[in-house]
Amino acid sequence: MASGNNLISQPSRRDLLAMALAAGASTTAMGQTSGPPVRVGGTLSLTGPLAATGAIHKIVGDLFVQEANKKQGMLGRPIEWVLLDDQSKPDLARTLYERLITVDKVDLLIGPYATANILSAMSVAQRYNKVLVHSTFGIPKLATYDRHFPGWPIGFSPEDTVSNMALDGILSTGKQVKTFAVVTSKFPSVQFLAVGARDVFKKRGLTENLYLEFEFGARDFGPIAARVREANPDILYMGAIGLEGNQLLEALEKINYTPKNHMYVYPSPGQLAQSPLGKDALSLTIYEDLPPFSDNPEAATFARLYREAATKAGFPFVDPETQAGAGYSSWQILTGAVNATKSLNDDVLTAHLKKNGAETIIGKVRFDGPQNYGDDLMRLKQVQDGKWAIVWPKQVATPGKTIIIK
Amino acid sequence: MNAPAVKSYRGLVAILAATLAFAALPLFQPSPFLESFLYLLFFWIALATSWTILSGFTGYVSFGHGAFYGAGVYATANLGAHAPLWVCLLAGGLIAAVLGGAVGFVVFRVRRLRGELFALLTLALAIVLATIILNTPIDGGPGVSLMGVRLPRIYANPSSTIYLLGALVAMGSLATAWLVQYSSFGRGLFAISDDEDVAEILGVPTLGFKVAALALSSFLAGVAGAVHALFVSYVTVGETFSITVPLFVLLMSVLGGARHWLGPAIGAIFVTTLTNALVGGDWALAARALIGVTLIVATLYLPEGVIGFLAHRFRARAKPALAAAPIVEPAPEVGPKRPIGDVLLQCDDVHLAFRGVRALNGVTLEVREGEILGLVGPNGSGKSTLINVISGFYRPDAGRLVFAGSDVTADAGHRRARRGIARTFQIPRPFNRLSVLDNVVVAGQFGARGLDHGAALAQAQEWLSFVGLDARAQALPKELNLHQRKFLELARALASGARLIMLDEVLAGLTPAEITTAIDMVRKIHASGATIIFVEHNMRAVLALTDRLVVLNQGQIIAQGDPRAVMQDPLVISAYLGDADAHP
Repeated sequence: MASGNNLISQPSRRDLLAMALAAGASTTAMGQTSGPPVRVGGTLSLTGPLAATGAIHKIVGDLFVQEANKKQGMLGRPIEWVLLDDQSKPDLARTLYERLITVDKVDLLIGPYATANILSAMSVAQRYNKVLVHSTFGIPKLATYDRHFPGWPIGFSPEDTVSNMALDGILSTGKQVKTFAVVTSKFPSVQFLAVGARDVFKKRGLTENLYLEFEFGARDFGPIAARVREANPDILYMGAIGLEGNQLLEALEKINYTPKNHMYVYPSPGQLAQSPLGKDALSLTIYEDLPPFSDNPEAATFARLYREAATKAGFPFVDPETQAGAGYSSWQILTGAVNATKSLNDDVLTAHLKKNGAETIIGKVRFDGPQNYGDDLMRLKQVQDGKWAIVWPKQVATPGKTIIIK
Repeated sequence: MNAPAVKSYRGLVAILAATLAFAALPLFQPSPFLESFLYLLFFWIALATSWTILSGFTGYVSFGHGAFYGAGVYATANLGAHAPLWVCLLAGGLIAAVLGGAVGFVVFRVRRLRGELFALLTLALAIVLATIILNTPIDGGPGVSLMGVRLPRIYANPSSTIYLLGALVAMGSLATAWLVQYSSFGRGLFAISDDEDVAEILGVPTLGFKVAALALSSFLAGVAGAVHALFVSYVTVGETFSITVPLFVLLMSVLGGARHWLGPAIGAIFVTTLTNALVGGDWALAARALIGVTLIVATLYLPEGVIGFLAHRFRARAKPALAAAPIVEPAPEVGPKRPIGDVLLQCDDVHLAFRGVRALNGVTLEVREGEILGLVGPNGSGKSTLINVISGFYRPDAGRLVFAGSDVTADAGHRRARRGIARTFQIPRPFNRLSVLDNVVVAGQFGARGLDHGAALAQAQEWLSFVGLDARAQALPKELNLHQRKFLELARALASGARLIMLDEVLAGLTPAEITTAIDMVRKIHASGATIIFVEHNMRAVLALTDRLVVLNQGQIIAQGDPRAVMQDPLVISAYLGDADAHP
């Protein structure tokens, strides 16, 4: 369960004044970076099966570097992002990180997207004792390197904490939720959380009506839908990558079944919210362009610029959310540490981050727990009126929105 | 592409030298990126080369290479934490080999599972294996991390150790492919690729060779996968069994030249270098498109790959004048007419039907050692079917075949060839991508004589000289005219050392002058020691050559005996000309 003391707080008047001053200072310093650039090397899956998400991270990185270079960059020097395309291949990611370190001789590393690619990069970073800040790494226990820092703060045991947080939210309504069904893709990070949810739901007294796994890439959800209708759970948990959630809902509609309550990890956010079938669907997030996140001026600016860039790039869903937020926070973690320590030294950066964590648009991120994981900052969001709203925990809930459970 | 008949050890020496050079490279402390990049080259070279041992050499295109590679990946993923590295690598190779061998043993028995059906079946194999691994504790879904696997410190840096393993597997694969290509095994595989049925009746044990090629190919892919698991350090079913693995392997092999041991390596180097060179983040999509266009252009303009292109250039430069070679005097001695001996082949009450149509209906005949038996009959009478049954291409529904005192009814075609039965085809069926010389060498190696390569080569040159094709030894069959192609078939049958040669309409399509030459050639072949079944429509040739005549009509023997007497038989006349009462 997420602890409240790390959740985003409303900025005080003093904070706002400080932000205004900082903004003013930044304006003054706009374009004032000088000297040789600080070269930050990383890969993204710009082509291949992960390219759709890779494109989000590229926009985020471009925006961050562009905006940071208008201010103080890193150490007053401009940031140069040496970005390579790992083509969604972990083996290529590994080779390219070797190249970034030994041939391109970048000053710092920033991680790729996706668990397998991040692990490949991590093994290289480990050999050179380089700090590796990365985003959306799904199975924290696999990250054993002492100098990795996750920009996606899901805690060391998200299979436990995320599921408990979600169930806390569901049960907080006081509605009778006694049975559950888990239907999950066998996509590694998705299945990992689904198995955790199953255990947590059982431990907390819910009865399992159905547990079903299907292979990643499945297209025919008819048989699965039939099993779900037969199970008729109070809450349907679906481990879903991309459009799988929509596909199951469409299959359920064909047999005239609407789930009482339903939750998806990790769906295509736009398609699920925009579908009439996605009404009241629950999901997870660490960042949305909603209060209290959008109260942060930097976050608000980022969200505006992101939306512009995503629209220009023709994205079907242009609102920034988890992937964009995690990508941005990764850059913030790295840049913040460099500017705070005025150093590019990996030893110094490691010590700083472990001790101080980082302030990001998704909140305060700590790295002082097991394997550099801190708090689980996952939140529960829900489709309400065709849009996502954060509904749990209460401290970060979108104003006026509460969780709807039938 | 033509597989060279003359073995040169330069390739093997080059592989050994490269192995030593690559193994020594870490001593000079190169950039780890260079090692990492070279590892990727090695990985793809190993996979593509292993693929070509099956698919390039035999023509059985496999999309299932991801399955064998995946078996190796998961061998290390599951054993890595418990067993020494060499056990993982060996297990990866063996599991893949057993899997491949077992699948091949079943699939290759079914004649219709060739071409695209085989490719689809292998694709299904990869899907089935992925499903099993995903739904069992072998993976279970969340993937397997190998971060805790300890590598032996061959060099100080563990990544150098992985690099070295990659180099050894790649060079080992190349050496294996080289050895296969220049062995009788490889020559048999090439023959299978060009015409599997002909290869079988020339003595190539096609089933065994295909299974062995698949098992060997799978073994190498499995070992490559076992090493690659260490490189990526986190394996998932989705990435391991991705369709991109077999597609890339196929692309590399075709691009480089799938019928040569070095071709896939050239393709792998080209594709891997290209994909690694164009990784700039700002133009990733354009780079992908450029790679795609480059590969399309290369495939269009190099349909037989880089090696094939170079071979054609070389051949074009070395090509002799296209004038038909004169028929030279035969090398072997030509003696007087031979005496007729004991029964060499006996067909007892042979029956064969195709979907109810009786092609052979109780055929019983004898062929005696040293004779030329003429086999005639109207079209559709069953002559070619009988030849096919005797050569083993068809198995009779009933009846018995005894050759040289042994019952061969149940023998496969290659076993009959080794006992001394050979045939030619009405429409010549040479191995089109083997040289004229190699066509004959194959017969010498796999036929009744079972010669080693050197002896088969020497003998092939003699037989080519005998039939007047020695000047065209290095030509491809497509460069020969019909007359020469028929004589190539004769040379092949002779080189096999057959005691019984069945000539199926060898004179069809020839000019009168060529027929005269061919008749003379048949006489010379007969004089060289072979017993002959002579299937022919040309009655002048039949009467000139045969000692005895058998006439088939509607799958039955209607007459046999002295050729001139038989041709006067009313039944024979009726069979050829029809019944006078019925057709006034």
